[in-house]
Amino acid sequence: MPEKQIDRPGTDKGLSRRKLLTAGVAAGGALATGAVSAKAASTPDPLITEIQDWNRYLGDGVDANPYGMPSEFEKNVVRRDVAWLTADSKSSINFTPLHELDGIITPNGLCFERHHGGVAEINPVDHRLMINGLVDKPLVFTMEDLKRFPRENRVYFLECAANSGMEWRGAQLNGCQFTHGMVHNVMYTGIPLKHILNEAGVKASAKWLLPEGADASAMTRSLPIEKAMDDCLVAFKMNGEALRPEQGYPVRLVVPGWEGNMWIKWLRRIELGDAPWHQREETSKYTDLMANGKARRFTWEMDVKSVITNPSPQAPITHGKGQTVVTGVAWSGAGKIKRVDVSIDGGRNWKTARIDGPSLSKSIHRFYYDFEWDGSELFLQSRAIDEVGNVQPTKNELRAARGVNSIYHNNGIQTWHVKADGSAENVEIS
Amino acid sequence: MSKSLKLFAAIGLILASTSLAQAQDADAGAKVFKKCKACHAVGDGARNRVGPHLNSVFGRKAASIEGFKYSKAMSVAGSGGLVWNDETLAAFLTKPRKMMKGTKMAFSGLKKEKDRANLLAFLKSFSPDAASAAAPETPKKQEIAAAPAPTEPKAKPVAAKDAPIPEHGVFHLGRAALVEEVKAWDIDIRPDGQGLPTGRGTVAQGEPIYTENCAVCHGDFGEGTGRWPILAGGQNTLTDERPEKTIGSYWPYLSTVYDYIRRAMPFGDARSLSDDDVYAVTAYLLFLNDIVTDEEFELSNENFNNTRLPNEANFFADNRKEEPQNTARSEPCMTDCKPGKAEVTMRARVLDVTPDSKEGEGAGAIE
Repeated sequence: MPEKQIDRPGTDKGLSRRKLLTAGVAAGGALATGAVSAKAASTPDPLITEIQDWNRYLGDGVDANPYGMPSEFEKNVVRRDVAWLTADSKSSINFTPLHELDGIITPNGLCFERHHGGVAEINPVDHRLMINGLVDKPLVFTMEDLKRFPRENRVYFLECAANSGMEWRGAQLNGCQFTHGMVHNVMYTGIPLKHILNEAGVKASAKWLLPEGADASAMTRSLPIEKAMDDCLVAFKMNGEALRPEQGYPVRLVVPGWEGNMWIKWLRRIELGDAPWHQREETSKYTDLMANGKARRFTWEMDVKSVITNPSPQAPITHGKGQTVVTGVAWSGAGKIKRVDVSIDGGRNWKTARIDGPSLSKSIHRFYYDFEWDGSELFLQSRAIDEVGNVQPTKNELRAARGVNSIYHNNGIQTWHVKADGSAENVEIS
Repeated sequence: MSKSLKLFAAIGLILASTSLAQAQDADAGAKVFKKCKACHAVGDGARNRVGPHLNSVFGRKAASIEGFKYSKAMSVAGSGGLVWNDETLAAFLTKPRKMMKGTKMAFSGLKKEKDRANLLAFLKSFSPDAASAAAPETPKKQEIAAAPAPTEPKAKPVAAKDAPIPEHGVFHLGRAALVEEVKAWDIDIRPDGQGLPTGRGTVAQGEPIYTENCAVCHGDFGEGTGRWPILAGGQNTLTDERPEKTIGSYWPYLSTVYDYIRRAMPFGDARSLSDDDVYAVTAYLLFLNDIVTDEEFELSNENFNNTRLPNEANFFADNRKEEPQNTARSEPCMTDCKPGKAEVTMRARVLDVTPDSKEGEGAGAIE
């Protein structure tokens, strides 16, 4: 029955640890039910010889769904959370299902969410953006005002600084959605931030910005003015349509290549000042505790990173040996990805993967490694190198430099152990 | 007089002053409910959160949802016969701790009668059996996330050529921000004290404010409940296997404490504390962290900069570029890079992480 969906683990929202633990087991059984492609046909396939309902009867007309939704057979392709990570869903995180996606763009409804005070619901006509502080003239803009500035379209990844943060002490979560899913890649339409700042007239003494959100946490971060004047955007569209409420509707800050927490959503105010503010999210959080008890701060740029999304624990190989596609994503806050290497023997030998699709600065890149699987166990790894020459490190190199308590900025090489039955597991190896 | 009898006497007193004469508006109640949403869920699939779910709360006996851990006071009231209806809910919501000393509900209360009435109308729409307690006009079930009605442009159309163009900037967009507007939104505070409002509060004044508004999540002594942030203690743990990053052990600046409480706390009721209240709670947090020891200590905009947090000196600027793995820019190895076959040293499934066990939680606690 080729139409039958492979039974993917944890289709209910809010995956529990127990389900995560059994996920690999369920996936392991997938080979038995899913392996249909390679068998020689001995009896005619009724799906071909018999006329199917969808081939005979009329389907829905136009407007059955004024806003189109994915096929019902894709209902397991959703963001998921790990309930025990946080105290409350209003200040929490969920994860992009990277193993279900391809290409470089993340669909809007699958972009992971991270809120500190829930999703602010704002009617755009009630939204204001204020520029104040060290400017010649403090200004207030409506959304209508903002849409009169010259616009640009740019594709950027957004990665939470805590992505892979659960893996510092060792392999923990079984699936790339959970180990690497705090990242998405979107085309933004927005206004270069410098246009808006220049409109108010930036004083020479202004060295820092404090963007602020309109949500119930009034999120704030200090941003150096060089970055603001370089490539930041004030964006109101994602992938062509309005920002989703959970992504900051009606307007958010885009800080290319830098940690996601700085991309203030529901952006309502930008203050200019001559020193950083040292707000909660850049002191008590988003600072990286080292083994010696000291902590790094202002670790803004996201390091070069990659992960194989298929096969992976949530997406086992179901077709048996032979022609096999290994694919994944790579990105760097320093620019474009120059190269991705793939190893199937745990880093003993590497082959350069094929990057396909647009190669854009500070954007996710898609890579493929097509090979003939002999059916023996694999230790799959990927290693990204960016245009500046940064090479993705191993997890042990990071641990040697930082210890295991830094939570943030874990860009270490991920290993998936693919077994002879095609199931895959998050492991660390010698 | 038994405990529950006393309680009912107290309810009776409040009931006497509670009138339901005002028209109830479930739509307006949905707005009021935003204050409750941090802890309570209602509607399809609503589950218990910090507080119990509120589906069919009307006609429900107090403390009767199985699996929810009620306060002792609420359980006693329930077994004493307290049933939620217009009157009892209104009394409770007016000032929860006044009606029921010992309730876990940290919310200080809905002071406006209109808010209470509207909230009850909203909640009633999720209580199908509330007919007996129905208001004159039974509200229809409301979609919480109802789409906002399309809004008409407010400004009267002016001929394009007659509209004045501002003189500032390059594109001449936006308008001047008024002093009052900047004052309303510009509430940030820097470590040097810039932005501190005039005001003061003592440790002793901060304690009851903290107990009423903060303790439900952060614990009576800042020790944190569940996965909510720990605010006090943890000194000398930063090199431990499980560091505790508190105000006293980790945070570099006191200004961050004042700033964050004022902008975002209490969780779900931001901006509800006065500036003096925030000074008092900040002073109390210094006391819980043993940074001040005198209960009469008063924190104000005048002496704020005299207090430094112990861990200030232990932060340093990003130097990732200097780490060994980043300084070696040699061409990465492609063949025979490591000796021997790869052996599994750790597996995700073996490293068991139990959701409820604090010891077993991952390194990446997110708050």
